[in-house]
Amino acid sequence: MTIDVFWRIPTHGEPSSHRSRTPHRGDWFPGDDSRAQSGSVGSGSDGTNYIDYIAEIAHAAEISGFQGGLIPSFPMTDEPWVISSLLARETNTFRFMIPFQPGFLNPVVAARMTASLQRATGGRALYNIITGGGGPAQLWWGDSATHDDRYGRTTEFLDVLKGVWNGGPFSYQGRFYQVEDAGLADPLSKEEYPEIYFSGSSDAALASASKHADYYLTWLEPFDQLREKFDRVKARTQILGRKIKCAIRVDIIARPTEEEAWAEIEKGFNSLSREALDKFQNPDGSDSVGAARQRGNRPATINSYKDLIIEPNVWSGFSLLRGGQTNGIVGSYEQVAERLDELVALGADAFILASTPHLEEAYRVGEEVLPLLRGKTDTAILRAVG
Amino acid sequence: MTTEFLWQLPTSGDGRYGNSKKERRGERSSSHHPYSDGVTDPRGLNFNYFDYLHQVARAAELAGFEGVRIPEDIYGDEPWIVAGYVARGSRHLKLLTEFDASRGSSVYAAKNTVSYQRFTDGRFAWQISAGGNQQHRRSLGDFAADSEIIPRIEEFVTVARGVLTQSPYTFKGKYFEVLNGGFQGALANHKVPPVYLSGNSKEALALSAKTADVHIFDAAGVDDIKQQISHLNAIAKQHGCQIGLGLRIDIIARETEQEAIFDAYRAWQQSDKKNGSHAPSINNNLWSGLSTSITGANATLVGSYEQVTQALVDYAAAGITSFLLSSVPHFEEAYRLGEYVLPAVRAQIGHDQQRRAA
Repeated sequence: MTIDVFWRIPTHGEPSSHRSRTPHRGDWFPGDDSRAQSGSVGSGSDGTNYIDYIAEIAHAAEISGFQGGLIPSFPMTDEPWVISSLLARETNTFRFMIPFQPGFLNPVVAARMTASLQRATGGRALYNIITGGGGPAQLWWGDSATHDDRYGRTTEFLDVLKGVWNGGPFSYQGRFYQVEDAGLADPLSKEEYPEIYFSGSSDAALASASKHADYYLTWLEPFDQLREKFDRVKARTQILGRKIKCAIRVDIIARPTEEEAWAEIEKGFNSLSREALDKFQNPDGSDSVGAARQRGNRPATINSYKDLIIEPNVWSGFSLLRGGQTNGIVGSYEQVAERLDELVALGADAFILASTPHLEEAYRVGEEVLPLLRGKTDTAILRAVG
Repeated sequence: MTTEFLWQLPTSGDGRYGNSKKERRGERSSSHHPYSDGVTDPRGLNFNYFDYLHQVARAAELAGFEGVRIPEDIYGDEPWIVAGYVARGSRHLKLLTEFDASRGSSVYAAKNTVSYQRFTDGRFAWQISAGGNQQHRRSLGDFAADSEIIPRIEEFVTVARGVLTQSPYTFKGKYFEVLNGGFQGALANHKVPPVYLSGNSKEALALSAKTADVHIFDAAGVDDIKQQISHLNAIAKQHGCQIGLGLRIDIIARETEQEAIFDAYRAWQQSDKKNGSHAPSINNNLWSGLSTSITGANATLVGSYEQVTQALVDYAAAGITSFLLSSVPHFEEAYRLGEYVLPAVRAQIGHDQQRRAA
């Protein structure tokens, strides 16, 4: 058995380091549209734009040995379906991990899009099915379904997707979706079903994941909590007679020495405003269970970056430096590889790694960290457990 | 208004036969060996139909078309994915992408469109269709009644234009809703996709009159088209709108009329029409009953380069500003029309416009 390692594509701009919060690469200038666009040569269709920078990262990731990359989708980002289809032709091995919320697409249309993308890429499309998150963000997308309803809908969506995939005829009478004599036509019906990475920490999410997911995808949490979470997911899935793998999305800062890695964090932390720290302590409302689990590990007062070190090489302030999850791994190349191997030992089968800037760091991590990983070799598991 | 010529990307197959269903050029298929065992096939599984679609799009661009129409066909590849796939290989092509309003959230379609516009310098455009009969729609997970199709398209466009042009934007309708929607920063203020609509019903024409950037007419004789145009323009005037007028028509153009007629009959004999026993009905150079399910237009212009040129000029004089053209095989025929027909049509239209202005 082997583990799969993915990279991430930054879809809402890219700063040049963890210390900078100005995503100036490509054409991203949030709130400052008047400024000349860096990386944009002239105007008109012969000019370059952000997709050209994304293409650079995708190429760096495939050259550096990553499977492909997660292409995040949020209200402020570019969209993964678009990025995947635009880059299909100019990449070789890069697998496009597309996050989307089932409520936004008709499942038969999604099946057609996915099968065509598989044809366009030689089977390099896969999903990250998202359902959690809620409140104002969900209504921004025009979706008012309640939390548990959304997971019911996700389950039905994947029922239909699977039903039509190999040609049908397939009929379905669900609460959210109905189809009659549906099925993909030849040759779309001959494509590989996409691998499904599934996010969500609530009970409703686990119920849905255990039915349809290939990988249960989680953010990094304290290692003991993760072990417990993975065990729970695998137990639930086993009841259904299925097997599920586990995957972790984690930011890393890997440097030749541990001191250099923490120095990077310290510089980033010291550049933060008091305002940013206050907001970090008291975030606004969302019904995401995963986000709440991350906040639970946070100390009451934060005076130094060291207050956010929650276990060896794990720092819980990443969302301060760059939106998204809080926990990440910081250390020397060897330490980062060891922590990742420990995660493999407690149940991880795949990683989605990320570090800023994603272009240069894809090469660094690919050259310095991935070769140190033992992955699923027996000795690696024994060493980590011992 | 300038005249645009859009070529069709044959999303569900193409070849040199009237019945192009027989072929998907370059299709990757492990079970299909076109050569005998004694002949090497160097392609292996390295190519498939997408490589051909890429080539047709390049041909359309090099032959001087303003854009490509990417039709929705359940037997073919999905148009939004095809649009993205050909986007990076083209520089100026408009990507007119067909879909229907049951594809999902209008906000999500608008958000994906923002990325298309950012990455293509505003070349993405929408053709929203009714989506076929009820049985067909149900096989696509769409259980809306016939009477709901037009109102749903209207809401889809309203919400999409709302979030693309305003922030915050709120709307609650029968089919779509959004609360405090709209785009910020780098995603804000991108080109709203031109909306192409079609349909002959009273409701469809009324929707086009107040909502469409371009209304597409099915191929018909030029006098018939003239009548339809004046009818639509009258409705549009009531709404204070002026809309572009499109014509969806197939073409068989050859050096001489005799060659065109010969090829037209051969295409008809090869076609997959169930009513193949009926000969095509011919009215001057306009043939009905010839189009295949691949090309798909209501009628085909058959004739010499000069005849086809004159017919297109006549449509332009009647008011048509968007020509949505198609002919098999789409790769070779894109070059043929780009070389032998479009330059002459453009020159004549320009000449006519100058004469009217003078």
